[in-house]
Amino acid sequence: MTRRLIAAFLVFGLIVASGMVIVSPTGAQDNRTHQIGKKLKCMCGACNDTAATCFHVGGAFSGPCGTAKGMLNKIDQQVARGDSDDLIVQSFVQEYGQVALIEPPHTGIGRLAWAMPVVYLLAGAILVVFVISRWRKRPARAFQTGGATSVSGVSPELLERARRRVAEETED
Amino acid sequence: MDVFGSFALLLAFLCAGYAFVGGIAAILTRHPLLIKSARQAGIATCGLIFLATGSLVYLFFSDSYWVSYVVAHSNRDLSTFYKIAALWSGQEGSLLFWSFLLAIYVFSVLLVYRNKNGELMPYVGVVLAGVQIFFLTLNNFVASPFKVLASTGANGALEIFTRADGNGLNPLLQYPEMVIHPPNLYSGYTGFTIPFAFALGALLARYPGEKWIHLTRKWTMIAWCFQTMGILLGAHWAYAVLGWGGYWGWDPVENASLLPWLTGTAFLHSVMMQEKRGMMKVWNVWLVFSTFMLCILGTLLTRSGVVSSVHAFAQSSIGNYFVGFLVLVFAVCLGAYVKNRDYLKSENQLDSMVSRESSFLFNNLILLVSCIAVLSGTLFPVFSEWLSGSRISVGAPFFNKVNIPIGLLLLFLTGVGPLLAWRKTSTDSLKRNFGWPLIAGLLAGIVVFALGVREFFSLVCLMLCVFVTTTIGMEFFRGARVIRSRSGASLLASAVDLTMRNTRRYGGYIVHMGMVLIFVGLAGAAFNRDARKDMQPGSTLQIGGYKLLLQGFDAKAEKNYTAERMVVEVWRDNKPLMMLYPERRFFQTNEQSGTMVAIYSTLREDLYVVYAGQNPETQAPVIHAFLNPLVKWIWLGGLVVVLGTLVTLLPNRRAVLVLAGDPERAAAQHPHALAPSVALKEGHD
Repeated sequence: MTRRLIAAFLVFGLIVASGMVIVSPTGAQDNRTHQIGKKLKCMCGACNDTAATCFHVGGAFSGPCGTAKGMLNKIDQQVARGDSDDLIVQSFVQEYGQVALIEPPHTGIGRLAWAMPVVYLLAGAILVVFVISRWRKRPARAFQTGGATSVSGVSPELLERARRRVAEETED
Repeated sequence: MDVFGSFALLLAFLCAGYAFVGGIAAILTRHPLLIKSARQAGIATCGLIFLATGSLVYLFFSDSYWVSYVVAHSNRDLSTFYKIAALWSGQEGSLLFWSFLLAIYVFSVLLVYRNKNGELMPYVGVVLAGVQIFFLTLNNFVASPFKVLASTGANGALEIFTRADGNGLNPLLQYPEMVIHPPNLYSGYTGFTIPFAFALGALLARYPGEKWIHLTRKWTMIAWCFQTMGILLGAHWAYAVLGWGGYWGWDPVENASLLPWLTGTAFLHSVMMQEKRGMMKVWNVWLVFSTFMLCILGTLLTRSGVVSSVHAFAQSSIGNYFVGFLVLVFAVCLGAYVKNRDYLKSENQLDSMVSRESSFLFNNLILLVSCIAVLSGTLFPVFSEWLSGSRISVGAPFFNKVNIPIGLLLLFLTGVGPLLAWRKTSTDSLKRNFGWPLIAGLLAGIVVFALGVREFFSLVCLMLCVFVTTTIGMEFFRGARVIRSRSGASLLASAVDLTMRNTRRYGGYIVHMGMVLIFVGLAGAAFNRDARKDMQPGSTLQIGGYKLLLQGFDAKAEKNYTAERMVVEVWRDNKPLMMLYPERRFFQTNEQSGTMVAIYSTLREDLYVVYAGQNPETQAPVIHAFLNPLVKWIWLGGLVVVLGTLVTLLPNRRAVLVLAGDPERAAAQHPHALAPSVALKEGHD
């Protein structure tokens, strides 16, 4: 029976898997303007979207707002002129500054944005491992809700009195 | 009625003031009459806020177009349904709505605990009154929803005048989910005030940390459930209304709603360490403090305009008040902690790195890292401008790159954590608990890879989903099998019985299962595709296995808008499948337009069709179609999460079963148990 149930879970997993793989990963839109537009922030000042996917309030229907449309038109012109993707993106950076890039650049202060999550994770992991190691070195002691456990800075009697008071007053 | 509403708000402010000052006096003097009067003032505050909110609703229903807020957010043709939504559609009304929801919580708490926890409740009442005073200050003196239209008359005196009609409600808000999304989200934000008040109150009252957690667990679960529903409903609204084909854009306001959810989730896990082992008391108190402060920060981001956001309809200079309140709350929390921290000292002790305790620590680490990463990313444009003078944008690609690996780590821990024993897990136990789930996960990975999926994160996500599903399934199966062997009931009935015996533990597993379904849905996003085309009647658009044939257009006139619809016949495998009617709406009152997306949703994929207006050059109508795999799993997962949360809120039907099949876990949970096939234990896991 155990095996049958496990088999059922495997089947469920495969159903989930099949749901994913039926659609082949060829979804990237070919439109080059659209792809370049996805690297640039819509500069209308009212949203945090890309020029290609702008949908903010004030945008016309599902399409980009007027500012984003202007940016896409400009990209179109530069694509027609034969400019490279990098050159097109840089032209926007020259016009608006670094703020035109939808994600922080991997240069200058932008590196700080990318480094921060890694630093958080590493620092946090080191801290957790350190804390666990420290706690493991402590002698085992059963936790007792109602017991007179000693707590530094507060006398056991005082803590016990406080716990008794809480126990009397608290109804779970 | 506007005068009545203003008066009720002013009285509520005064009552809250008394509840605060009287409560402090009651704490200092311990005089029973003072304690009672402070509590009653708190209840009166809530009643008056209910009356004020009712007044504003009445003003909307009665088309009172001399009230500025009603003029700005309603009109005569607006349906009754949306006149309710108009209440929170602008700055002033949404702040009153915030006070209203907070008042419901405060009223419930004061009523439920009116004869209990005599020492603690005055402190809790003072904290709650303090929070209410802040919001009532805004309601009365900064953003009153009862301001009337007035002009200077011939004699120089101010004269109230009435408009013939209002400006109408923002079209984007005229959607059923907008009537339920904000109340859910606000109920989450305001709900976290209750655990905050208990945590701060307990600290001020020098209550040892074990008990306030018991008192607030259900309140925290309720707030968390509302926050979860609010986030998912917001995502669904963005998906179904905005017409961009996505559901989460990492907009600062979306991020703001996620932050307290992340810390709240961390709290719901780490609280078990405190209940079970008496550990992490300081951490838990600060998690609750942080969650509340993040709720305030979220409101600040939503309303201040400090970062650019699509949620522009509620921005103003009110942010300064929230900054002040945030600083004050932090100062009070810090002061209370510094003064009374000795009462929070824990006897933290661990036996092994491989233990339930460690998994909770890592769970909290991952959730907190995600929270801080989202917060720092959201605020980075502001920081970068301060630091370097030039603003750096942080958009969706950044958040996706950072949070996808973090999310997968969390998903992994979702499967691992519940199967580790408290204190220490042996190698045998690891093999027994993780053997099949690992095999299932790896097998799923191999199959999916063989079928052609090369998207790394989606592949890993899927493997982990199968891994976690198997671990959860095995937990249910093992417990249900024991019950079945005793009762002879079916496996399904035994699983239900098992769940009802320990609602918290198995409800938690159901929540985890819901999260797995959500992750399955998120994994599908890597395979989204879209196509956009100028269309004429008779022309077709191919996307994936679907062919969209534009048959023509029709129009309909509703009370509050006119709509132009595309009539689209959907074909699949050379057979007609169904009709879709994406439409564009024009709202005459405020001369704004909006979309209504047509979606054919299956478990496999969503066919998402938008009438995207007209091509400005050719004047041809444009159709924008998306094929989004697995999106439906997200909404289903949300429902399962809510179901699981509701289960956790139910009382245990009978004594808890601890499986003797896992001696380590049984021993850790019930050290004095002899070793029967099952050991009975009161409590939770």
